[in-house]
Amino acid sequence: MNHIFLQILTGLQISALYMLIALGLTLIFGTLGVVNFAHGALFMLGAYFAVEISSQFGFGVAIIAVPILLFIIGIIMERGLIRFFYERPHTDQILVTFGLAIVLGEVMKTIYGANNLPFDIPKWGSGIVRLHEYLPFLEGFVAYPKWRLILIVVSFSTVISLFTLLQFTKFGLIVRAGMRDSQMLAFLGVNITRRFTIVFGIGSVIAAIAGLFGGPITQVEPEVGMHMLIPSFLVVVIGGMGSLPGAVLASLILGMSISFTAEYAALQQIIIYLIAVIILLVRPRGLMGKKGLME
Amino acid sequence: MSDTNGNSFFSVKDVHAYYGESYIVQGISFDLNEGEIVALLGRNGAGKTTTLKTIARALDPKLKQGEIYLAGQNLHDMKTHEAAQAGVQLVPEDRRIIPGLTVEENLIIAQVAPNIGWEIDRIYEHFPKLAERRKQEATSMSGGEQQMLAVARALARDVKLLLLDEPYEGLAPVIVHEIESILQEVKKLGITTIIVEQNAVAALKLADSALILDTGKIVFKGTAKEVLDNKELREEYLAI
Repeated sequence: MNHIFLQILTGLQISALYMLIALGLTLIFGTLGVVNFAHGALFMLGAYFAVEISSQFGFGVAIIAVPILLFIIGIIMERGLIRFFYERPHTDQILVTFGLAIVLGEVMKTIYGANNLPFDIPKWGSGIVRLHEYLPFLEGFVAYPKWRLILIVVSFSTVISLFTLLQFTKFGLIVRAGMRDSQMLAFLGVNITRRFTIVFGIGSVIAAIAGLFGGPITQVEPEVGMHMLIPSFLVVVIGGMGSLPGAVLASLILGMSISFTAEYAALQQIIIYLIAVIILLVRPRGLMGKKGLME
Repeated sequence: MSDTNGNSFFSVKDVHAYYGESYIVQGISFDLNEGEIVALLGRNGAGKTTTLKTIARALDPKLKQGEIYLAGQNLHDMKTHEAAQAGVQLVPEDRRIIPGLTVEENLIIAQVAPNIGWEIDRIYEHFPKLAERRKQEATSMSGGEQQMLAVARALARDVKLLLLDEPYEGLAPVIVHEIESILQEVKKLGITTIIVEQNAVAALKLADSALILDTGKIVFKGTAKEVLDNKELREEYLAI
């Protein structure tokens, strides 16, 4: 019982980080139709800014400042570069965003070096939680790192906030409509481009949240964005390109499969790719990909 | 239809539009008076839909040359959403009802940008069928009901120029009659309208005047009656 519970918890924690990055990725893809390979770099920037700001002013300041910074950077990135590639083929978009990711990685390498930057967990988030004290079905002593539990909570709260924004606000209605037929929205007088720019900013904010709370768990080094991007991209594809519920579901499947194959190291290395192959063979559009959406 | 170069309500001057390298609209000019309804006719591929999309200032086709004026505003310098805010409303082919949204949400979406037309309650008064289905996913309705919603969605905006692209396409004859009577009602509102339709007879029933397009050029301008009375014209360009 204890063993399975801990594996589920670990699965959730692995999912949590992939979910955050995949959510931003699929949100941007679903609205703007851009495969943003620089999304991992936004996560990396988020982690670096978090380290820098929290060491100077404390983590509390970083929680506010890093998302704001990334929102601004996201808007600049979309307006300054990515919007020129909307009408271009996906391969061009991948090349330019991939290039941008390399540039941003190199900039961080020049400033901070190639090594991992230590990211100190704030005091209120460090240590362990004695889970057996709260959950009577656990036997004996079961503890879990507090920060990882916080990551799970933050991640799912972010998911819920994003869904609330998209499902229950007028802004969300416009964005959802724009995801399905942006031209028709323009025919109805809606400046959908402006909304999509804000969406890009929101995607960047989610990357900032991932950097803030995921940074202490992954590592803070120039390559970390790319390392996180590949499995997150897999999550997006398995979930169905542009589908937010799909991304959530797929990240849970991948997180759990990584966690439950922990005893078989060789299998763990390939499990997510194996699952991707099987799912895409059965459902070529991914788990929740919709016909006609982003094809 | 006035061919003067004076101040018509709506005026298209030497418009050329391209889809990529394809030269589709090859220099068309025409004017409309306020409240006039014109049928834009011609064979498949003559450039009718392209003309409407050019007027609605779609990103594609590209307007490479020419001027378009609506009530003193120059549409040719505008982006799609700006043209819509200026009063152009395209009811596109296939209706383009937004999937995943309810009937009501499809109407709300039409009232996000400034210059709103009919209030939603007024739309429901005129289209009780839509009121019944307000909470239903719009794309689950029948083709006729979706066409009704597409027209209603245009009326939800302050429409100065209505562009109807094949409003009867793919509808059963009974439903065509229903949409026809809706469009007759719309006609009473005095909205300047361009109607593109394969079913030329149905379009001419509604229209005051007609334009016939052939390979991107206007080959005939006249009244609706002149087209119906001219057998040669009908056979050559309309196959009716």
